[in-house]
Amino acid sequence: MSLEELAFIVLAAVALFTAVAALLVRELVHTILWIAVFFVSISAIYFLLLAPFIGVLQLGVYAGAVTVLLLFGVMLTRKRIFFREAMTGIDAVPLALAVVTFIFVVTAVGELPQSSQTISVYDPTLLSEGLFGTNGSWLLLLGLLMMGAVAGSIYLVREGRE
Amino acid sequence: MTALPLVGFVALSSALFAVGLFGILTRRNFILILIAIEIAMNAAILNFVYFGAFSSGTGGLVGQEIAVVLIGFAATEVAVGLAIVLALNRLKGTINVAQANELKL
Repeated sequence: MSLEELAFIVLAAVALFTAVAALLVRELVHTILWIAVFFVSISAIYFLLLAPFIGVLQLGVYAGAVTVLLLFGVMLTRKRIFFREAMTGIDAVPLALAVVTFIFVVTAVGELPQSSQTISVYDPTLLSEGLFGTNGSWLLLLGLLMMGAVAGSIYLVREGRE
Repeated sequence: MTALPLVGFVALSSALFAVGLFGILTRRNFILILIAIEIAMNAAILNFVYFGAFSSGTGGLVGQEIAVVLIGFAATEVAVGLAIVLALNRLKGTINVAQANELKL
């Protein structure tokens, strides 16, 4: 087993464990701490996949912005931030549905090669050329969507609304 | 030269998606549902990046481009979601989605 494969297995285990822990832990602030670790481990997987641009974006947007935004959401909606949630428990039907989804996806791709494959390395200049040149309309669309989201968020939380 | 098993990535992202789906269906707290959606969304973005990385030729770059756009989408979605959380908290005094029944007939 090569070093990269070992690193992938460790990172995948950390990502899975933190994702499950984030949803099962009872204090909401602890959930956000777990989810921050989850975002960082996914970012490390991007670096492992030789996609450093996506990795940095994941660190900045998810581990940075989204985590702080969620923390603000918790702080603004309760008096004491260390508040224990009522235990929701593990329902059988959603758990079965999730397990069936997992099994379905894994068996659907059972035809894939089992051995390790080499990863293509992409030049970041080619990525920026694609992002801002040939597929530039995607980013324009994203900008429009974000503008609409900002307007909608301000409308939702503005003062003097019933 | 990095070599990694493709099957491991497929298993990881489908497991993460299953965890996110489970969270969306079981949690009652709006912020926890948002977090579960983020986990499922991360699994989807990971899909684009690794299938792009394992494909040969420059066609795999499109995977990374879609990942950039999707990360922006997800951040936007969290921002709007938290605005809804704050509005719900102001209206109801709680962020339990079971009590958000304003649109029921």
